[in-house]
Amino acid sequence: MTKYLLLSAMLFSIGAVGVLSRRNLLVVLMSIELMLNGVNVALVAFARFHQNLDGHVFVMMVMGVAAAEVGVGLALLIALFRNRRTVDAGDLTTLKG
Amino acid sequence: MADALKAVAADVLADPVFAVCALVAVGAAVLMVTRRNPVYGALWLMQCFLAVAVIFLKLHAPFLAAIHVLVYTGAILVLFLFVIMLLNLQPRELGQEHSRPAKGLAIGVCAALLLLLAGSFLKAAPDGAPFKEVAPVMVGVGDTRLPIPADDWGGVEHVGAELFDRFIVPFEIVSVLIVVAIFGAVVLAKRKL
Repeated sequence: MTKYLLLSAMLFSIGAVGVLSRRNLLVVLMSIELMLNGVNVALVAFARFHQNLDGHVFVMMVMGVAAAEVGVGLALLIALFRNRRTVDAGDLTTLKG
Repeated sequence: MADALKAVAADVLADPVFAVCALVAVGAAVLMVTRRNPVYGALWLMQCFLAVAVIFLKLHAPFLAAIHVLVYTGAILVLFLFVIMLLNLQPRELGQEHSRPAKGLAIGVCAALLLLLAGSFLKAAPDGAPFKEVAPVMVGVGDTRLPIPADDWGGVEHVGAELFDRFIVPFEIVSVLIVVAIFGAVVLAKRKL
């Protein structure tokens, strides 16, 4: 099972690189999906290892939350683009004094 | 640590389906993160999700594999592509990216995270923690008991029985969450309230 956990750690880290190093909000949202996906792989691997289905149910919950998060996130992005004509996180400085 | 790494490498090489899927998933993930145009990023992410779905099949989770393809590639990524097309970003609207040192710092932090995770996994299970054969189980829905043969472990009946018995409250809470998210998305994306 260690190989599955290593794969999940890799997916999570690559997603973290995307979140930290990109400024395009679309790519940041996609990277968050990738991180959630990495976690899902670990949950399913643990469920298989312990032969306990709780991990599968957890993954279903994660998928539901991810779907809700993407829906709201993309709606925010559309509202943002309509008002500011940008999807660059670095341009969002209106709160700066 | 070196022995543990060797054991895992042998384990991966003994399982070509996993090796190919893991390679595709990680490669597609790297390409997704590095593409400048979000359309290509979304398509690479789809590739990554499909490889992960095959990994779920390998992990005796056929129902989750199907749901994963339906929800992630079928719904979430299509939503992403819709939004990308709706925004119709011109190259100058893609925005600037971080400077090279900032990117290097981010990659360094994440590499440290990966090393920490990988090191702890390898230390916790130096033998690669092989899976045992799946055993048939009985799952309960109310007073009735349903036998799940080993072949159907993780299938629709098994997941459904668990989801609608022990996890019925969290399941319903997630459904409320999604309804709230739908309202939120509609209100946010509306031109005029």
